[in-house]
Amino acid sequence: MKKAYLGIDIGSISTKGVIIDEEHNILASVYLWTEGNPLGASKKVIRELASQIDLNEWTVVAAGTTGSARKLVGAMCNASIVKNEITAHAVGTTTLHPDVRTILEIGGQDSKIICVEDGVAVDYAMNTLCAAGTGSFLTSQARRLGVDVEEFGKIALGSKNPTPIAARCTVFAESDLVHKIQMGHKKEDIIAGLCNAVANNYLNNIGKGKKILPPIVFQGGVSKNEGVVRAFADSLGEEIIVDENGHLMGCYGAAILAHGSGIERPFSFDVAEMEFVTREVICENCPNHCEIICVYRDGELIDSWGNRCERGEVRS
Amino acid sequence: MKIGIPRALLYYRYGIFWETFFQELGHETVISPRTNKDILTKGEQLSIDENCLSTKLFFGHVATLEGKCDYCFVPRIANLGDAGRFCSRFEALPDMCKNMFRNADLRILRANIDPEQHVSAKRAYLKLGMQLGASREKALAAYEAGMAAQMESFRKKAEINHTLLKKEGIKVLVASHPYNLYDEYIGAPIIKSIRNLDAVPICSDGIDPREARRKAADIAKHVPWVVSRELLGAIQTYRDKIDGIVLITAFPCGPDSMVNEMIIRRISHVPILNLLLDSQDGNAGIDTRLESFIDIIRFRKEVEL
Repeated sequence: MKKAYLGIDIGSISTKGVIIDEEHNILASVYLWTEGNPLGASKKVIRELASQIDLNEWTVVAAGTTGSARKLVGAMCNASIVKNEITAHAVGTTTLHPDVRTILEIGGQDSKIICVEDGVAVDYAMNTLCAAGTGSFLTSQARRLGVDVEEFGKIALGSKNPTPIAARCTVFAESDLVHKIQMGHKKEDIIAGLCNAVANNYLNNIGKGKKILPPIVFQGGVSKNEGVVRAFADSLGEEIIVDENGHLMGCYGAAILAHGSGIERPFSFDVAEMEFVTREVICENCPNHCEIICVYRDGELIDSWGNRCERGEVRS
Repeated sequence: MKIGIPRALLYYRYGIFWETFFQELGHETVISPRTNKDILTKGEQLSIDENCLSTKLFFGHVATLEGKCDYCFVPRIANLGDAGRFCSRFEALPDMCKNMFRNADLRILRANIDPEQHVSAKRAYLKLGMQLGASREKALAAYEAGMAAQMESFRKKAEINHTLLKKEGIKVLVASHPYNLYDEYIGAPIIKSIRNLDAVPICSDGIDPREARRKAADIAKHVPWVVSRELLGAIQTYRDKIDGIVLITAFPCGPDSMVNEMIIRRISHVPILNLLLDSQDGNAGIDTRLESFIDIIRFRKEVEL
């Protein structure tokens, strides 16, 4: 049996998974929507990953999780490492593109920039807790315009005269957008304007004070939008690299980190068939009323978190 | 008499002075408990939504003192003369409290400190002491005892930082107003998280305020606010001795929105994490940011070695 490592990236919008070998080659990969159910989506990912490899040849010796539901899914699959998505993305991307200097990323809720020197992340910035200018912003504007967000890029490329849109705040952007539509601006111009606004907004906020050096890799769901890619290329005057596996960088990084952790823990593909339930408990021990999340596997408590102090610890 | 002091805003700067001053005058002091969810909720209900989180917490703290003291001490501290001004919200505190608690079992004890209008702190506290029935001599003695205690506490804080700076490992300057740094719902969980990530948090207020204000001029000369000057001074003092800076802002802070922006642009050789806190309960966003920030510093150090 040869050793393999599993990585899962559970984002707000999509869940991604890979299995890699000891040389960090990708053996299997899955990408699907989270649909507000991180545990269900992760089970589906695990099931599909299992179907892509020969289980008689490979054995998964360590799992890593990343993304906003990393803790929950980490408890579910007995992960060796649970890592934040910035570190995971940096590790994943620098493995595939050792010469990269800047990683731009726009996801469903978060956007970030990572500066790399000699293959190592040395600086980064992330949006504040407001989701303006991220994937969810584009999705809601697409809905308003009656267009599939997947079509945005193509439509934007058709515009010769992008409409300027104020996109610093999602709420202001909406009213600006409605105004521009009513004034008679063309749909493709407005869409191109939105893509420009996303790129410029990103550079003025997240990218502020950072040296954006080439090679530049752009990833996250929004990197699939050619309109935003072109806007970045125009603004920065540099080539923008969009890897076809860009969406897998988080889970790929998590798998590499699981390998690098040196911690081998039995991982079973059977977790996909087990029942995992979470329950929220309010701790009544003090006026803070912490909301504690308890995770149960087949009725047995396996982990809990959310308490601010030890008085709220839940024991099995 | 029992004098209540809300554990919020300038308590974290002058609390020791106030406690000593009132006790020397022969009064008992009652400090509101550490911030908890009830205090936060109460503060949010009482306040208009435009106040910053720290000010909302202040009102929550005042509310806990209702019925528990004869007077609740809410001074108006407008400025420190040449040393700069305080946020204008602080100037409005006594009036806002008076209005907010007009039907409550709570009497507000005021003091007005405004050196720009020729009312020095000393003059204001002497007046307050005599108003509370003390002789001029007794009030003066209480003021001086308070000042001595205050100086001693500044010195102790500086000593702590001095020791922390000598420690091994990743050192992170946590730069924010003292009322954010030490609040259970703002800075305290962040400082705890940094410690849990095996890094050494160093608080920005552990430096002699006078020295800090002088050093601030090396970064920017025309910052109007006392607290912002001291924060800049701390950054200037520590910038070559630390591995990263975490800026904490309680939304929506006017001074921070300008000063932090400038810090990010002018301090380019140290990694900076800017955390903007509102009353959200979930700590996930904060934890992700802190964890990755410390990771990046660690990677960076490994390369330098």
